[in-house]
Amino acid sequence: MIIHWPLLGFELGILCTAIFVLVADLIIPSERKEFLGYAAAIGIAFSTMYHAGFSGGFGSLFGGVFVLDPFSWFFKFIFAMAAFVAVLMSWHYVERLERGRGEFFLLLLLSTLGMGLLVSARDFLLLFVALELMTISFYVMTAYLRMEPTSVEAGLKYLILGGLASATLVMGMAFLYGATGSTQFADIQKSTNILSPLATLGFLFVAAALLFKVAAFPFHFWVPDVYEGAPTPVSAFLSVGSKAAAFGVFVRILVEAVPGVDNVLLMILSGLAALTVVYGNLVAMPQTNTKRLLAYSSIGHAGYLLMGLATGSALGLQGIVFYLLAYAFANLGAWLVFFLVEENTGDAGLVSFAGLSKRSPLLAAVMFVSLLSLAGAPPLAGFFGKFVILLSVVQRGYLWLAIIGAMMIIVSLYYYLLVVKRMYLEEPKDQAPFPVTLAMRVVMVVLVIGTVGMGIYQEPFLTSAQAAVRALFGG
Amino acid sequence: MMSATPILSLILLAPLLGALSLVFMPRHEVTWVRRVSVAATLFPLILSIGLLLGYDVSVGGFQFLEKYPWVPSLGISFQVGVDGINVVLVLLHAICAFTGVLISYAIPVRVKEYYIFYLLLITGVFGVFTSLDLFFFYFFYEMAVIPMYPLIGIWGSGDKEYAGMKLTLYLTAGAVLGLVGLLIVYFRTAPGGTPTFDFLAIQQGTFANPIPAPLQRFVFPFLLVGFGVMAPMWPFHSWSPIGHAAAPSAVSMLHAGVLMKLGSYAILRLAISILPAGAMYWLPWVALLALMNIIYGGFVAMAQKDMKFIIGYSSSSHMGYVLLGLAVLTPMGVTGAVLLMFAHGIMTALAFALIGFVYDRAHTRMVSELGGLAKAMPFVAFAFVVMAMASSGLPGLGNFAAEVIIFFSAWEKYPVHTILAVFGVIITTVYMLRMVRGVFFGEISSRFVKLEDAQTPFDRMPYAILMVVLLVIGVWPTLLLKPIQKGATELLSHPTFATESRFVEVPPSESEGHP
Repeated sequence: MIIHWPLLGFELGILCTAIFVLVADLIIPSERKEFLGYAAAIGIAFSTMYHAGFSGGFGSLFGGVFVLDPFSWFFKFIFAMAAFVAVLMSWHYVERLERGRGEFFLLLLLSTLGMGLLVSARDFLLLFVALELMTISFYVMTAYLRMEPTSVEAGLKYLILGGLASATLVMGMAFLYGATGSTQFADIQKSTNILSPLATLGFLFVAAALLFKVAAFPFHFWVPDVYEGAPTPVSAFLSVGSKAAAFGVFVRILVEAVPGVDNVLLMILSGLAALTVVYGNLVAMPQTNTKRLLAYSSIGHAGYLLMGLATGSALGLQGIVFYLLAYAFANLGAWLVFFLVEENTGDAGLVSFAGLSKRSPLLAAVMFVSLLSLAGAPPLAGFFGKFVILLSVVQRGYLWLAIIGAMMIIVSLYYYLLVVKRMYLEEPKDQAPFPVTLAMRVVMVVLVIGTVGMGIYQEPFLTSAQAAVRALFGG
Repeated sequence: MMSATPILSLILLAPLLGALSLVFMPRHEVTWVRRVSVAATLFPLILSIGLLLGYDVSVGGFQFLEKYPWVPSLGISFQVGVDGINVVLVLLHAICAFTGVLISYAIPVRVKEYYIFYLLLITGVFGVFTSLDLFFFYFFYEMAVIPMYPLIGIWGSGDKEYAGMKLTLYLTAGAVLGLVGLLIVYFRTAPGGTPTFDFLAIQQGTFANPIPAPLQRFVFPFLLVGFGVMAPMWPFHSWSPIGHAAAPSAVSMLHAGVLMKLGSYAILRLAISILPAGAMYWLPWVALLALMNIIYGGFVAMAQKDMKFIIGYSSSSHMGYVLLGLAVLTPMGVTGAVLLMFAHGIMTALAFALIGFVYDRAHTRMVSELGGLAKAMPFVAFAFVVMAMASSGLPGLGNFAAEVIIFFSAWEKYPVHTILAVFGVIITTVYMLRMVRGVFFGEISSRFVKLEDAQTPFDRMPYAILMVVLLVIGVWPTLLLKPIQKGATELLSHPTFATESRFVEVPPSESEGHP
């Protein structure tokens, strides 16, 4: 069998970087480990450049198990972006670790590799392996601050609940295999036995596992604790990369494995979408810890994304793809600012944002733009994401869902503006300006340009999203 | 009619580019920050005057059209154009924005950030008044709301944090409700084809292929309530007086002067012209709510002690006349409403500018604490009296003509409402005169004797501009009435409205049928 290696370019690039980091870690003395961080960043950057320039024609490998189509092509940019920002944050962050500085970058790269494989999987076996590669790396990274009880607790909680979700997924896969005799999506969809109760049960189990990964109500309980306890770069990576990967695979299963338009599944999803968006946004309101605030708000965003999923229409899925990219730009910007504020003040509470606009106008401006994009205010990317999602929901005829989604925009605007209030209206406790490295500045400006650019000139991004979704429908 | 120079895009881009260039300007260069802001609003003002003069009333329709495809797959295009109604409102906004920037010279701190937000706000409002695409309409509408939060929160006074938050959330709540309504309309625009956000196409579609009447009646409240929050329609008005009172004066000017008109403009342009059957069904109720605005707002204004609150409630009271004019659903009523939007916008901008001036010097806005200020600041007192006369509807100043037109047109359809609404004018006169007397006449307190008036011509310019505009439209309303009438007639040209007027003249056959 001839393997067309360029299709695996992104994954191979990340894998090579990971192996390099693994080997170099043995040679490099422990006080020079930031070199590994530079290597990881360069490796991700080169893999992404290769990926962006990829023009050899899309296709699948290993008998259709792995596929590089416009859909997975698009998603890998989100992962690369999230991984790059997480690595950037970790450059200095790892200095506080006593042990395992080098492995931290290794784990980051491995989870990126898992995400890349996950959205390309067209077979439940590869899906499972990729998902575990991603998740197990996250378990370790979450518990990385071994001396801090919150981090260890978060890691343990994530491990136990994540293990449960994995078990559910395996169970679902087993049912589907039992009903249809295959693990490949296409075979499952074509199987004559697909409407049997066994297969339906299998889909529900798989859906439950994925709903856990995207942090949908009522499978969200791990999110606030894990985000709060994990090292901040990990939380940022988790909230963008892991969520995007889980939604990517969810969309693919819904289109490629589930037969036709399954109205029961869509009804369940629309109900869960409503509950998730209401729960996430309402509970985010009283939060005083920034990490928990961002965690609950990310649950709210999962609700909007589920709305797009619940429509089951091409428009809704395009909305998801666009929304995820917009969310990545804005959320990474917000996490990056929070990371710098936390590093400088040593406090993860919202109080540490007091008077930020006087201490560092740049950080405050980046946070302002990012939060308003998350809230869905024009002319920013998040607005158009929500717009397309609401459009698809109205098209599907779920007017009640559209109204709930629209009303929750106001709730989210409220708690995001509370942060803005702290930054711009309150007086700082300490007037000292924040030191921000040049690399951080550049990345933040790029993220803001992305947020504003996607919000004003939506066409090219929406076209990519359309191409991605069309590829799924086999057009 | 396609125009050669993209005038409307230039109007829109000038403040946006101004804001963008301010971002890259060092914050201590306050003088240059101000100069750039003045330039970024003076340029659109000149263009808007040109727009009014260049608008060909005999041709009518939307002129100065520009259209650039934006997101073709969703039917979104960046389309701008103005008809007789927009021409007037764009001018109103340009005047308020320019004078607002001049008034903002009094802003003492964080000048650069202030002007960035202020210019973004101005861009948003220009966008709403020129967009002929539902997507961009909403885009700019919401873009005009968001900068209000930092503007009120940072540079405001009093209970500014609460007021800013309440205002932003109220207006956003209305906007998203309106958005859901627009999305429902969107999917009915092209049965069988690709739906479009193009307003002109949608409007033409309502002639050839009207949306079913039951659906119109269902969707209309979304748009009415959604945009009515901004109007501000009773009982969704409560954000407006506190918002006006807490905002810095230049922001109050724009807010009461222009932003509130966005609401009534949106109801007129979107709800009424796209959903004629829905409008006919719901507008009698709007007339009732408008009456509540007028009477309730008037009485509450009477009870206020803070000057800004008096004007704040008075604004929501006056916007009741606008809503009443719209509710009549005749070209005449709409003409009066739009003319009043203009006149009231100028008048209320003048009011807030003057109150800001007094507050900056006397450090109080309480009518009971002030008094006799006419001795210390004769120019400001004169301007204030002009404003109060305009507000009370005295002939010779802008509001008079507009209110008379509204009352005349409303009389046929809602005689009882009209009588009560005229009573509202008396209420206005009472609280305006009481305020003028309390603040500018009587004994002057010793602590106010040394207060300085607006001395230099440059200081007086913004007030003078606004007074001159009030006077000009007072004595020569035809200047604006011609384009407005044309626009109003075209807007109400849908056949559904014609059936309505026949319905009003009770057909004799019906009375014969019931002996």
